Amino acid sequence: MIVSNAPLQHGTTGGPETAPHRIVLDGVCKTFGAGDKAAGTVALKDVNLSVRDKSFISLLGPSGCGKTTILRIVNGLIKPDSGKVLISGAEPRPGPNMGFVFQSFRLIPWSTIRGNIEFALVESIKDKAERQERADRYIDLVGLSRFANAYPSELSGGMRQRVALARALATEPDILLMDEPFASIDAQTRELMQLELMRLWSARQSVALFVTHSVDEAILLADQVVLMGPRPGRILEVIDVGLERPRWKYDIRAEKRFIELRAYLWDRIRTLVLTDPESDFYGRDLGNGS
Amino acid sequence: MKIAAYRLIFLAGLIALWWLASTMVERNLVPSPWATLLAARQLIAEGRLGGALLDSISIYLGGYAIAILVGIPIGLIMGTMRTLGKTLEIFVYALSATPRVAFIPLIIVFLGLGAQAKILIIFLGAVMPILINTYAGAQNADQELIEMARSVGARRRRIFGSIILPGAVPFILVGLRVGATIGLINTVVAELYTAVKGLGGLLAIYGNTFRMAEYFVIVLTLAMIGVIVTEALRFLETRLGRWRRSDVVV
Repeated sequence: MIVSNAPLQHGTTGGPETAPHRIVLDGVCKTFGAGDKAAGTVALKDVNLSVRDKSFISLLGPSGCGKTTILRIVNGLIKPDSGKVLISGAEPRPGPNMGFVFQSFRLIPWSTIRGNIEFALVESIKDKAERQERADRYIDLVGLSRFANAYPSELSGGMRQRVALARALATEPDILLMDEPFASIDAQTRELMQLELMRLWSARQSVALFVTHSVDEAILLADQVVLMGPRPGRILEVIDVGLERPRWKYDIRAEKRFIELRAYLWDRIRTLVLTDPESDFYGRDLGNGS
Repeated sequence: MKIAAYRLIFLAGLIALWWLASTMVERNLVPSPWATLLAARQLIAEGRLGGALLDSISIYLGGYAIAILVGIPIGLIMGTMRTLGKTLEIFVYALSATPRVAFIPLIIVFLGLGAQAKILIIFLGAVMPILINTYAGAQNADQELIEMARSVGARRRRIFGSIILPGAVPFILVGLRVGATIGLINTVVAELYTAVKGLGGLLAIYGNTFRMAEYFVIVLTLAMIGVIVTEALRFLETRLGRWRRSDVVV
């Protein structure tokens, strides 16, 4: 079953129905031109998405469906070719109002952990002592106080990702953008980090856009899962997760709703990958893709 | 500290070889270490070594300092302004491939044989490696870190100051080290080709009159300057590169 028409593509997501739309994408298109790495790739085609305040959204889909491009457009790092983007009713502009957690951590190697977090605070907190106090509070929040003066090279992958998370949270942004933040850390650390993220997010709810390849992760964390398809990158479906929070209080993976959702999403993604001529798995017989 | 001991042992071996050579080569073309030491004492006592050293060091540092002041800013500008950098780089490479010694007659025509001409010759030698390495360092700035900086709202000036410039420092230091060596070579070349002065001047005088012990003193002095300058820059490199250590302290 492939949903291909407009009404379902237009996703309205969010917590309470009355909450204002924090992020609105309206008919957004983006093509990376011949000058770019992927010559003439249509990264996004007619993407419509409205995200209500205080909701956690997972963007799920196979490689090349423009998940990261959405984050960069929302952050204002790149501009769409056409369509409208509104963040709290205004043009997107990078800054302390949005926190971005990158897949590859992106810590400044010659700055200490404290220095790395302060780096994100320079625009919003002019007073030096106050800036340091805030940085230390967030270092403590992710449990790395004794590494405040260490350099990133002295930390493990999981610790570095916690620093990157602390840096994004430290400006206390209204919008948190996360691009596969746990993709490059080991499975065990990853599960702990997911719990940690849920704990941090529930303490101070902001809009979260979370890009992931993992179906489990997408369901576990989000209020809504936005399923995307590749070539051209587009939104296929928006699904309410509807599992109770806080989710670390029970075995969410044993819930019937979780199992159903996972089976459904897996099936959709497998079909997408097996029917995508650009995919490595195109046309293969990998189980019942019915 | 083990390395220091090995170095001393190697040095002792070199001196032994030198002594052996001095006993075997005829006509006193190789002075013995002892004779060299005596000559050094004499040159220092007469104040000749000190005077020549002062001459050479002052023009060396002058030319080198100007090379730093010119090479680093131009390298940074070329590295951050892509179009300008790509336009100019081929000319920079062409100039750096030309033996700068070829310009000496021209320089003499314009500037004569004095300190100005010498400083220019040193500058021309030292500036190229500094400029080219700085350029490479600024060009290789980490694009991912720059995007991260943009996403926290940093403007161009802060991105330059806290991402591009610190990222280029290791490259700049390599350029400074290579530049220092070439600058020293050009110091001697300049003193040989223009007014005969300084250490290069003494080298010419003692070489031409076969006073080999004195000649060796000058050669060793030059080697020592080279060691001191490059070791100082190496020390700076390790100081500035402390964040590179990867030993996890838990």
